[in-house]
Amino acid sequence: MNGAMNQIELTGIEKHYGGYHALKSVNLAIPKGGFVALVGPSGCGKSTLLRTIAGLETITGGAIHIAGQDVTTLPPRLRDIAMVFQSYALYPHMTVAENLTYALRLKGVPKPVARKRAEDIAETIGLTPLLDRYPRALSGGQRQRVAMGRAIIREPKAFLFDEPLSNLDAALRVHMRAEIRKLHNRLGATSVYVTHDQIEAMTMADHVVVMRAGVIEQQGAPLELYDRPANRFVAGFIGSPAMNFIDAVTTDQGVKLALPGEPVIATTTRSQPGRKVLAGLRPEHLAVDPDGALRLPVALVEQTGSTSYLVTDTEPMLTVSANLRRDIHPGDVVGLSIDPARVHLFDPATEARL
Amino acid sequence: MRILRSLTDGIGFDLILIGAAMAFLMAMAGLPLVYNVLMSFQEVDMFSLGSLIRPWAGFDNYRSVVAQPEFWLVMKNTALFVVGSIAGQFTLGFALALFFHQNFPGSATIRGLFLVSWVMPGLVVGAIWSFILAGDYGVLNALLQGVGLISEPVFWKSDPNLSLYAVIIANIWLGLAFNMLLLSVGLAAIPRDIYEAAELDGATAWQRFRTITLPMMRSTIGAVLSLGLIGTLQQFDLFPAITEGGPANTSNVSQYWAWQMSFKLYDFARGATISVMMLVLVLFAAVIYVRSTRGEVRG
Repeated sequence: MNGAMNQIELTGIEKHYGGYHALKSVNLAIPKGGFVALVGPSGCGKSTLLRTIAGLETITGGAIHIAGQDVTTLPPRLRDIAMVFQSYALYPHMTVAENLTYALRLKGVPKPVARKRAEDIAETIGLTPLLDRYPRALSGGQRQRVAMGRAIIREPKAFLFDEPLSNLDAALRVHMRAEIRKLHNRLGATSVYVTHDQIEAMTMADHVVVMRAGVIEQQGAPLELYDRPANRFVAGFIGSPAMNFIDAVTTDQGVKLALPGEPVIATTTRSQPGRKVLAGLRPEHLAVDPDGALRLPVALVEQTGSTSYLVTDTEPMLTVSANLRRDIHPGDVVGLSIDPARVHLFDPATEARL
Repeated sequence: MRILRSLTDGIGFDLILIGAAMAFLMAMAGLPLVYNVLMSFQEVDMFSLGSLIRPWAGFDNYRSVVAQPEFWLVMKNTALFVVGSIAGQFTLGFALALFFHQNFPGSATIRGLFLVSWVMPGLVVGAIWSFILAGDYGVLNALLQGVGLISEPVFWKSDPNLSLYAVIIANIWLGLAFNMLLLSVGLAAIPRDIYEAAELDGATAWQRFRTITLPMMRSTIGAVLSLGLIGTLQQFDLFPAITEGGPANTSNVSQYWAWQMSFKLYDFARGATISVMMLVLVLFAAVIYVRSTRGEVRG
C-alpha cells in the first residue's frame, strides 16, 4: 500500500444497503493526474463507488486514501474533492458568479478576490456574459459549464464526474467530451468519471474500470480492454456494435463454429480438441471476402453512409461492419473472413477468457 | 334555447360552477363583511338592530373605541399574542420539520400524529389546556413542582402577569402542527443533491442551513408567517375556554373584545368597529401572503 504514489486509493471497499451488497471488495488505485472512467450497466455500483470517494455514502468496510491521507471517516467537506452532478445541482437562488464563488466565500475569501477568481474561470470556460444570470435562465450546456467551473475554481485534490453529459443532446455531448478531457490535461487534475456510455469511457479515460453487480470485472487501458477482454461481459460491453458470440468446439485445426456449413477458423488454441467454447467475433473484424471461410445469408443491411452493418440470417445472428458501401441486399449469401488472431475464446461456463 | 345548449356543450357550465362558488362566498362572507363595515359607521341600538338604514355616525364609533380605557391594553395584548404565538409556532414548527426531515425510522408516522393538535376543535384544546394550566390541580404545576423548578403553585390563568401567556402557550400548541407541515413541504422541495454539492463545497451543517435552506425556503416562510398572522388574529375559541379575557382584561385581545362588545354588552356598533380595525390588519397580512407565494425561487 503506497499511499504517496496514488492520489486516490481504494482498498477492499464494501457497501451494504440493508441486505443488498452494493460494492464487493473493490480495490482501485488512481495515480496523480490520472483520468479514470467507471463504466457499467445501470445498477452496477459505479455511482455508489463515486459517492463513496466523495464521502456522500458511508462504507461498511475497507479504506479510502486521498493524497496519502486516510479519509475513510472524514465528512465530505473535509475531503477537498469537487463533484459535477448529473443534475448539475446548481444553487438556484444564486447567480452564476455566486455559484462559482460559493466554496471560496465559505472559506472566508474576500468578496472582490472571489469575484476576480470567478471572472478568470468564466473567461476560460466561456461564461463571462452569464456571470450575473440565475441558473434557471441558462441552457443545459451552460449549466453544465457552470457546474464545471464551480469544481475548477476550488483547485481540489480530485474531480468526480457523475454522468455529467447524460442530460445533453448528442452533438453537445461529443463537444463537451473533448472539452472536459482538454480541461483535465491543462489542469493536470486527477479525475474519476462515471458513465454508462462505453464510448465516453474509451475516448476520455486513460484507465477504464468495468463494473458489474458491485464487482470490478476488469480494469486497464482502453485498448487493453478492447484487445484482451477478461471475460464475456467485458467483451460484450466494450466495443460498438457489440461483439458477436457463437458456440464453438475446438478441433485440431482451430475452432469449429456452430454456424451453417460448420466453418473452422485456424486459431492457435491450447485447449485439447473437442472442448466446447464460446467464440467472440467483433463486427469490425469480420471482413466481406468472397473466399472467406464463412458463407452466410444476409437478413438486413443498415447503411450509415460511412459504414454498412450487415445482419446475418443465422441463429445467433451476426453483425458485420463493412467499411465501404457494398452492393449487398437481404437474401444474398456473403463470404466472410476473420483474422484468427482476433477471435476471442471464452469458457461457456465461467465466461472467463481462454 | 341558446342557454340550454351552452349548458350541454360545456361553455356555460364553467360559468355556473364559478357562479355557485361566488354566490356562496358573497352570501356567507361578502355581505356580512359589507354589513359589518356599514354598521361601524352607524348608530346601532337594540331597537334599530333589525333595520338596515340607521342614523349615520361617521367616525364617532372609532373615536369612542379608541377612547375606551382598556383600548391600549387590548391592543398591546393583541400584539403580544400575535408575536408570541407566531414566534413560538414558527420556531418550534421549523425545528420539528427539520427534525422529521432526517427520515429516521417511523418519522413519517410520528409527524402524522402531530396533526392531532390541528384536527382538534379550539374549544376542546382550550378546555384541555385549561385543565393543564389550572393553579390548584393543574398537571403543569405538579410537573414543575416535582422537578423543583417552582415551590408554590403558579396561577397561570388568574395571575394578571401570566394570563395572556397561558393562552399563548395553548395557541402555540394548537398551531404547531400546521407550521410544521407547511415547512416540511418546503424542506422536501429542496433537491437533495444541492445539499450534497454544498457539503462538497465545504459547508458545515449550519452553513448549509443558512445559505441553502433559508434562502430557498423564503417563499414558504413568508406564506407560513402570514398565514400564522391571519390564524392568530382569528383565534377566538381559546379565550372563552381559558381566561375569558381576564383578569381585568389582562388577557383580552381585540377579536375577543369585539365579541364582548357585541354579544355581552350588546354594543353592536363598537363591536363592528373593532372588527373592521382588525380586518385592515388581516388584509395587510393577506397581501404579504399572496406576494410571497407568487415570488417562488425555484430553479
